[in-house]
Amino acid sequence: MSFAFDPFAAAVDADPFPYYKILRDEYPCFWSAEAGMWVLSRYADIVVALNDWQTYSSAQGNMMTELPNRAGSTLGTTDPPRHDRLRGLIQHAFLKRNLEAMAEPMRAIAKMVLVAVREREQFDFLEDFSSKFTVRVLFAVLGLPLGDEKQVRDQAVLMVQSDPVTRQKGPAHLAAFAWMTDYAAKVIEERRRQPQDDLISLFSQAEIDGDKLAEREVLLTTTTLIMAGIESLGGFMAMLALNLADHAAARRRLVAEPTLIPDAIEESLRYNTSAQRFRRCLQRDVTLHGQTMRAGDFVCLAYGSGNRDERQFPDPDSYDIDRKPKGHLGFGGGVHGCLGGAIARMACRIAFEEFLDALPTFRRVEAQLPWMPSSTFRSPLRLQLART
Amino acid sequence: MIVIFIEPGGTRREIEVPEGWTLMQAATANGVEGIEAECGGSCACATCHCYVEQGLERLPPPNETEAAMLENVAAERQPNSRLSCQLKPDAGAAPLCVRLPWRQS
Repeated sequence: MSFAFDPFAAAVDADPFPYYKILRDEYPCFWSAEAGMWVLSRYADIVVALNDWQTYSSAQGNMMTELPNRAGSTLGTTDPPRHDRLRGLIQHAFLKRNLEAMAEPMRAIAKMVLVAVREREQFDFLEDFSSKFTVRVLFAVLGLPLGDEKQVRDQAVLMVQSDPVTRQKGPAHLAAFAWMTDYAAKVIEERRRQPQDDLISLFSQAEIDGDKLAEREVLLTTTTLIMAGIESLGGFMAMLALNLADHAAARRRLVAEPTLIPDAIEESLRYNTSAQRFRRCLQRDVTLHGQTMRAGDFVCLAYGSGNRDERQFPDPDSYDIDRKPKGHLGFGGGVHGCLGGAIARMACRIAFEEFLDALPTFRRVEAQLPWMPSSTFRSPLRLQLART
Repeated sequence: MIVIFIEPGGTRREIEVPEGWTLMQAATANGVEGIEAECGGSCACATCHCYVEQGLERLPPPNETEAAMLENVAAERQPNSRLSCQLKPDAGAAPLCVRLPWRQS
């Protein structure tokens, strides 16, 4: 039987790594008929593609299944020079040194959320901790009104999913996207009426060289920031918690020496980052490993595979907090490297300092996890943990 | 193409930079000390700062984004300061040589 790789399949959601190994070793430039795109899986090939935005364009979308009318209006779905002007407006707020003021509010949020978790023998890491933490942190960072935090979170998680049967966004996913866009529109309107010292106020009034940002750019970039801040951060936190449940020796070291937490974050970003696969669109023909990809073809960059490439990371399938992996693809890279990388690292560090202090020992309850059906991201929908 | 990196401790490293890679990527992939590159190469963190000791005149000048980000470097900014995530090696007569500063953040 010939090899197939369907990034929409439940088996790939659950465990993509054996597929990645075959892709890297035997089909480093593979046409996935199911996904209708090429798949690049080796670290070196992904790095080259990330650097070459002229060839590997993001302007037709970067998610494996793109949301309607989003491409072209966000950071991740525009190419330079438009991208650089958009990014220049907001990236100052995300510089490491400008985040320090957030540290204590983040810690206070983590402590507050953990009050209820401390009492429980068993709990869902997502529902009881990471969702509450990420939504409240994002509300604080963006100056959003609190509103219904569970609703915001549920919609953010739904909008990044796709239907494994049709291999497209389903009605529920599109409805979640529409809900989030409306939510963002209300926030923008509110901030324009009463500007505050926050990112959305700044962004919604920004002008690029005298041109105001297009309304759709303000709207969809705000929508994307909300989605990333809640879904992507929460999904990654769940992966880190899962790694620490599965690797008790590493967890014990972090409890004894919390300064090692950043090393565990970096290794988790490499080992099983939640941002598994993004896509680009070729602007010219490219021949790679004997295959010719044509201009106009979509190409999947499988970050999760590049991070397990033995050509780059020795013994890639072992989780080793002493590895200190540099140059991993956990946040992508190149001009589209994750804008929120610094704030995500900081939020994760603070959240886990507090979490491990409150719950130094835990195990996972379910051997089989329910994985989110998303061809782009990978994280469990539920992660039941029990104290030990 | 070979690029020479001088680590903050003075160690000189000759690194082969694959075609299409930046200096930052080759340095981090080869464990060169003295580069953090926290933003992954999106020119958004100023933690891959280097001083170009040889070959500066051959490099294209910084674009607007790099020029703005260079204002954020942690170590002293000098006329030969560049961000290594924006630099690619060339086939010049002598290899590029960059020195890494004592701090990046």
